Amino acid sequence: MSTPFVESVLAGAILSGTPVLFATLGEVVEERSGIVNLGMEGIMLIGAVVGFASTVHSGQAAVGLLAGAAAGAAMNMLFAYMVITQRANQLATGLAMMFGGVGLSALIGADYIGSRIGGLNPVPVPFLSALPWLGPLFRADVLVYLAVPTAVGVWWLLFRTRWGLDVRAVGENPTAAFAAGVSPMRVQYQALFLAGFLGGLAGAHLSVGIAKTWAEWMTAGRGFIAVALVIFSRWHPLRAIVGALIFGGAIALQLQLQARGAPVSPFLLDMLPYLLSLVVLLVWGGIRRHAAPASLGRVFQGSE
Amino acid sequence: MAEPAAPAIRLTSPSGAHVRAAGLFALAFVLFGGVLLAAGKNPLQAYADILTGTLLNPYGLSEVVVKMIPLLLTALAVAIPSRIWLINIGGEGQLYAGALAATWAAAAVAAQPAVIALPVVAASGFLGGALWAGVPGWLRMRGWVSETISTLLLNYVGILLVSFLVFGPWKDPGSANYPQSAEFAAAARLPSLFGTRIHLGLLVAIAGLILYHLVMTRTRWGLEMRAIGGNREAARRCGIPVETYVLVLMLIGGGLAGLAGMAEVSAIQGRLRPSLSPGYGYVGFLISWMAGGSAFGMVAAAFLVAVIAAGGDILQMSHRLPGSAVNILMALMLFVVLARRGKGGGS
Amino acid sequence: MRHRGAALLIVALFALAGAGWPARTAAAPPRLLVGILHVGSMTDGGYNQAHAEGARFMQRNVPGVELIEVENVPEGADAERVMESMIQRGARFIIPASFGYLDPGLNVARRHPEVKFMHPGGFKRAENFGTYWASTQDAFYLMGIAAGRTTKTNRAGFVVALPISFFLANVNAFHLGARSVNPRFETRVVFTGTFLDPGKEATAANALLDQGVDVMGVIVDSPITVVQVAERRGAYSVGYHYVGLQRFAPKGWISGIAFNWGPLYVRFAKAVMDGTWKNEALFGSLASDYLVVAPFGKAVSSATVRQVNAAKQAFISGQLRAFQGPIRDNRGQLRVPEGQILTDADFGRMDWFVEGIVGQPR
Repeated sequence: MSTPFVESVLAGAILSGTPVLFATLGEVVEERSGIVNLGMEGIMLIGAVVGFASTVHSGQAAVGLLAGAAAGAAMNMLFAYMVITQRANQLATGLAMMFGGVGLSALIGADYIGSRIGGLNPVPVPFLSALPWLGPLFRADVLVYLAVPTAVGVWWLLFRTRWGLDVRAVGENPTAAFAAGVSPMRVQYQALFLAGFLGGLAGAHLSVGIAKTWAEWMTAGRGFIAVALVIFSRWHPLRAIVGALIFGGAIALQLQLQARGAPVSPFLLDMLPYLLSLVVLLVWGGIRRHAAPASLGRVFQGSE
Repeated sequence: MAEPAAPAIRLTSPSGAHVRAAGLFALAFVLFGGVLLAAGKNPLQAYADILTGTLLNPYGLSEVVVKMIPLLLTALAVAIPSRIWLINIGGEGQLYAGALAATWAAAAVAAQPAVIALPVVAASGFLGGALWAGVPGWLRMRGWVSETISTLLLNYVGILLVSFLVFGPWKDPGSANYPQSAEFAAAARLPSLFGTRIHLGLLVAIAGLILYHLVMTRTRWGLEMRAIGGNREAARRCGIPVETYVLVLMLIGGGLAGLAGMAEVSAIQGRLRPSLSPGYGYVGFLISWMAGGSAFGMVAAAFLVAVIAAGGDILQMSHRLPGSAVNILMALMLFVVLARRGKGGGS
Repeated sequence: MRHRGAALLIVALFALAGAGWPARTAAAPPRLLVGILHVGSMTDGGYNQAHAEGARFMQRNVPGVELIEVENVPEGADAERVMESMIQRGARFIIPASFGYLDPGLNVARRHPEVKFMHPGGFKRAENFGTYWASTQDAFYLMGIAAGRTTKTNRAGFVVALPISFFLANVNAFHLGARSVNPRFETRVVFTGTFLDPGKEATAANALLDQGVDVMGVIVDSPITVVQVAERRGAYSVGYHYVGLQRFAPKGWISGIAFNWGPLYVRFAKAVMDGTWKNEALFGSLASDYLVVAPFGKAVSSATVRQVNAAKQAFISGQLRAFQGPIRDNRGQLRVPEGQILTDADFGRMDWFVEGIVGQPR
């Protein structure tokens, strides 16, 4: 009668992991162009509140998702203006964006607390959703289905297109890219637009797809998790899938274990992804071996 | 080798820049006034209420000072390593680690008189935070992991560790299973001053600021730190022990953040709770950057932030705005400062 | 450049002043200014909304009462500051409406003996600080009866914020009620670790539904999320806190427990105003007017409704007791010996689950 353990955890991990994956993908694109955005939390919150409010008004979840994504992109353009054109310190500006996002989303969302929406409904795939073990993969909502393809799309964009090459070039060495005829500022603006879009979409999925409600600061740190996940996946979109699954899985796992009566400390489990990220960095290099795009490294070393 | 005469380095900006800074902040207030207007509120009335609620009455002013204490400490935690371009964004985790250590110590010396208990608790708080920053410092010293990343990651680990302890082994048996530690013994509580909630932590923060300023401007260490900050390789070739500074400054910075955590838990809250800090570590980072490393700047920025934070309640009570709307004001202030400074190059 | 900026600034200030300055109307000072602190949003459809609506009912129905409301006040040091601000504005009666405001509230009460406090759910009092709550355990027992008779899978799930003793007692009472009509009934509990995190609550609810539960109960601040998840997956719901919750689960609604604080707050305000206020530890019951059993949904048969109502009367008349021994916990230990009955006082120390409940209370 009850779903087997693996299936449940998988379903939970995929659902919880989807917003995290979208946010991580956005952050990967940003950081590949050489810009760290610690304020992804604020972007997600704006996406969540605008997405929820739009769904309330339009009655359509799709409208809400798009509106949330657009709002995230717009918000990130403010960040882009600050760090690209005004050359403000990226870390501090990112934190400012986080605070701003928390405050602005609270202000916008005040009237929508307790509102009811239809939200995103699961769309089961006919045969596949009845499969054992993999069944839950095909009983999810449309954004969950799109998550992995989006990751592949971002990978393709970054590693198989001219634009992606430009982005990575700017991330490694903006001066050389400029000499080669690429406009670093333009590329970075574009990258940040995409990143904001993905981050806003992530937030909107949280409010419209998963919780189907709005509450202040409902992202509860998922934006920061995305920043950590980028490091964990060493700035690679496909590895980000694994990272998001692990994070989403950690949340789902401890709740599932509880539901089965297994004694587990949710807090110790929640620590794992962060500690794992540190280990990954230690093994694969956090400074020396240039895992990070080079100009990002300069941000992290304080000379930028 | 004879030491060159140290030029009179002023870490505080010349007064013209002060006026410009004030003008920038005024711009932020105007912009936020626009936000208030858009939300249907009267901005001037709102600001007037915030002023009367915080500065123009003694309790409000004391509460502003209370909020400044952890902010000053966490700002120092960032400022000190930043002198050699280390980025310590782990103030939050270090604060929690300090609070954790202080809680453990308080339980261990619960039977002792205050004369013994307090120093032990304070020292533990410092050590806890120092350890939490020392690990990233060591990793950076060895050239393995950037301290920006490691301190960021350890924030979460620190917060989760406190939750784990407070929900589990350290849960107070007398609190209806509510997740909080047992109350600190009276001897282990940091005393308050003048009948307000302002506590001894203020003296620590002030002492820290003064020491920071003096070390940076008047000692050989300060000179060496500035040399490292200017050109790391050249400094190393001059024989300055760069790696040692990396580790030591991270330890000191973390220790100060740990003291902030100790003060919060010992003076204000009286016990360890999962929601110990509303982001003091991150706000401290922002204060340190706003101040550009100047001790006076940090006091001014912390003051401003504390007033804004207290203003949030007032906005709610008198104007029916969500309390976190003041975060928008803080963000605007930061944007305004960052944009201006960014144009001239980094800081 | 600098002058232009300054001029712009001044113009902007005047514009703001002109645009946004309403006349300040002079109002008569209230006879009693009441301050209420909420830990969440006043429109959360749950815990906070119940308190907020009660406070507003009080304001409307007691002449001379004015209300200050502050939401989203974190538990801890900030709560003290907010209470002090309220007192500075003249508040003389404060309702710190969250469990974690107990210690901060007591601190403030010590400093202001002229101000009266009533704290919901607290377990410590002072000269000017009283507590109140409704013993929800009997009501949860009734919910258990309804659930036990309506379920098809004999399994219920509870999403609970924290393993606070009173919450554990609620779940235990529910389970005992269900077992009284359905001996094979099983309850599973998942803790989210926080009073409000819709993402986690949805995931927890899904995890429980994966386990085959078809009745969802919830003890968090805003029950909307869990109830919606249950409804979406075709399960029944038992609500908590807020009487209007039913509209979120038109098909699966069984019933719920809600608080109607309004009349109680009116009594508090009047008592403070005419000097008869006492720092009591008020424990309401099913007989009180502030503990409400929500209307039953379509899913519940009329026979079940009759049985529940009969049980309710039995509770009120004292014939039926929820925690009547012998009761074992889910590790096999005997917690309530034969012939013994647990009372409200015992619930504050409860840290175990009745056998048949799958969950970790510590």
